[in-house]
Amino acid sequence: MIEARGLTKRYGSKTAVDGVTFTVQPGQVTGFLGPNGAGKSTTMRMIVGLDRPTAGTVTVNGKPYAAHRRPLAEVGALLDAKAVHTGRTARNHLLAMAATHGIPTKRVDEVIELTGLRPVATKRVGGFSLGMGQRLGIAAALLGDPRTLILDEPVNGLDPEGVLWVRNIAKYLASEGRTVFLSSHLMSEVALTADHVLVIGKGRILADAPVSEIVDGAERKLVRVRSPQATELAELLKAQDAQVDGVEPGLLEVRGSTAAAVGELAALSRIVLHELTPVASTLEEAYMSLTADSVEYQSEGIAGHAGTQSDLEGSKA
Amino acid sequence: MSATVTAPAGGPAPGTTAGSTPVQNVTFWRVLRSEWIKLWTLRSTWWTLASTVVVIVGFALMMALIVQLVGNEMEGAAPEDQAAMGGMLGGTMVVSAGFEMAALVVAVLGALMITGEYSTGMIRSTFAAVPGRLSAFFGKAVVLALVTAVLITVSLALSWLVTYPLLNSNDATVDFGDSAQVRSLFGTVLYVVLVALFALGLGALLRHTAGAIFTVVAIFLVIPTIVQIATFAASQLEWVGTVNKLLPSVAGAQITPNAGAFPDVLDPWVGISVLAGYTVLVLAGAAARLKLQDA
Repeated sequence: MIEARGLTKRYGSKTAVDGVTFTVQPGQVTGFLGPNGAGKSTTMRMIVGLDRPTAGTVTVNGKPYAAHRRPLAEVGALLDAKAVHTGRTARNHLLAMAATHGIPTKRVDEVIELTGLRPVATKRVGGFSLGMGQRLGIAAALLGDPRTLILDEPVNGLDPEGVLWVRNIAKYLASEGRTVFLSSHLMSEVALTADHVLVIGKGRILADAPVSEIVDGAERKLVRVRSPQATELAELLKAQDAQVDGVEPGLLEVRGSTAAAVGELAALSRIVLHELTPVASTLEEAYMSLTADSVEYQSEGIAGHAGTQSDLEGSKA
Repeated sequence: MSATVTAPAGGPAPGTTAGSTPVQNVTFWRVLRSEWIKLWTLRSTWWTLASTVVVIVGFALMMALIVQLVGNEMEGAAPEDQAAMGGMLGGTMVVSAGFEMAALVVAVLGALMITGEYSTGMIRSTFAAVPGRLSAFFGKAVVLALVTAVLITVSLALSWLVTYPLLNSNDATVDFGDSAQVRSLFGTVLYVVLVALFALGLGALLRHTAGAIFTVVAIFLVIPTIVQIATFAASQLEWVGTVNKLLPSVAGAQITPNAGAFPDVLDPWVGISVLAGYTVLVLAGAAARLKLQDA
């Protein structure tokens, strides 16, 4: 279990994490969702004591991370794939980490096997691809058989098979009663893996709820209506408490109503319709709308499109 | 992602992580073992250690050849002149002639032990495993001191061995019955160990490989050279001499056989204590920064 109380981190005048309070429960996968620069990594680094909070506290399994006698048995953390000396082989890196906790060599070979690193275990990490580095980071996180796992963007750079593997291992570990805290900037990834989700934007927690609730709550039903008498129709819809946006002349987007209701109203008022389309918003859009005001690096036009973003992610692997 | 790496697609095999792993408390001894593994699993370690041996033995051979040349020159000179020459270029001086260069090479190793972790991000893994941080840092210091002490002792022994034939024919071998000579060789080991630790501390303070190495070279080579020119050029200025004798390199070297000829120097044990003091200061500053700042 991870408990943060009023956790704050400031760098000079910039506030990276702004008094967040949350609890990550064992036995389920908790997604930590937010745009880049929202404060996910900083929060995770504070959990394992790498960054000192400016204010507030965070405990893991009841104690601050540094107060544990066997920290690697409490928390396994993948903070970024490149937290490894590039001149050392993967196996030697794991052996050195294991030595601090008296973890036997057998366990090192076990996690190498588990993460599919065996073919490259005796190669130096400097030549690793992003995906192999990610697997090594996960291997290191699993080394101490920890009760809590913190994975910062674990699927970053993995091929589709690796992504599936991370999802499975996260769910499996949670099913064993462990706490799994996994960050991502991709709503779709969290929706597929997590049971519960924390949404963070500009250093603040925007939502803390089961994934299903976030998806249902944020999924806005939308009806697109094209009509030469759009202005007239808009007035009628507004009178029925529907929310109407004029997208372009003759095209309306209607929220708070259904296609059937709009059609009936138009027929009743003798208004001609050229198009009547119910539009279900995607998860990605739901997430976008939730974090719309808190995106650190706002982009113009195409880059804001969710599909483009996942395509970019995919091509990195 | 290379095609050779294949993951078990169905997730982990059951039972592989289910609480069967023996995990012990973090102790200083275990941290030492970890640092020991880290040191020997990097190629840079082997390179710097080999270079150190080459420097010490190489300098010793060169000096032994000079002794041989001088000996040939002085063939037939008065016995008291020959004795004076032997005193000037004694066996300990020859054997340890390369100690200052060797100290700089070992300083690179000391700095790399910590700056290499900062530049690669390894430091985050280190501090995640040892969140107390200081035991990881002092673990590095102990491993470095130990390895340096053995390395320099072995290098000096090798130097003694390879120069023995030349020195023996010129009556300039090390006299192990002379406690002053033994002390000066022990002092050489101590000097190099302290410089290595000084560099480790600077590395942790600066968190930058080139910066740390440049600073060590400046403190132990460039600044002393400038000050020493000043002591000869302006020997009437008393403060120049004071600065000179308090320099880490000059103070520390008084205990070695190659102290250099200065009018005003510290007592050997006081001198090495001054160097030790500087080293402790740097290590303490480094420890404070490690403990207080984000990794």
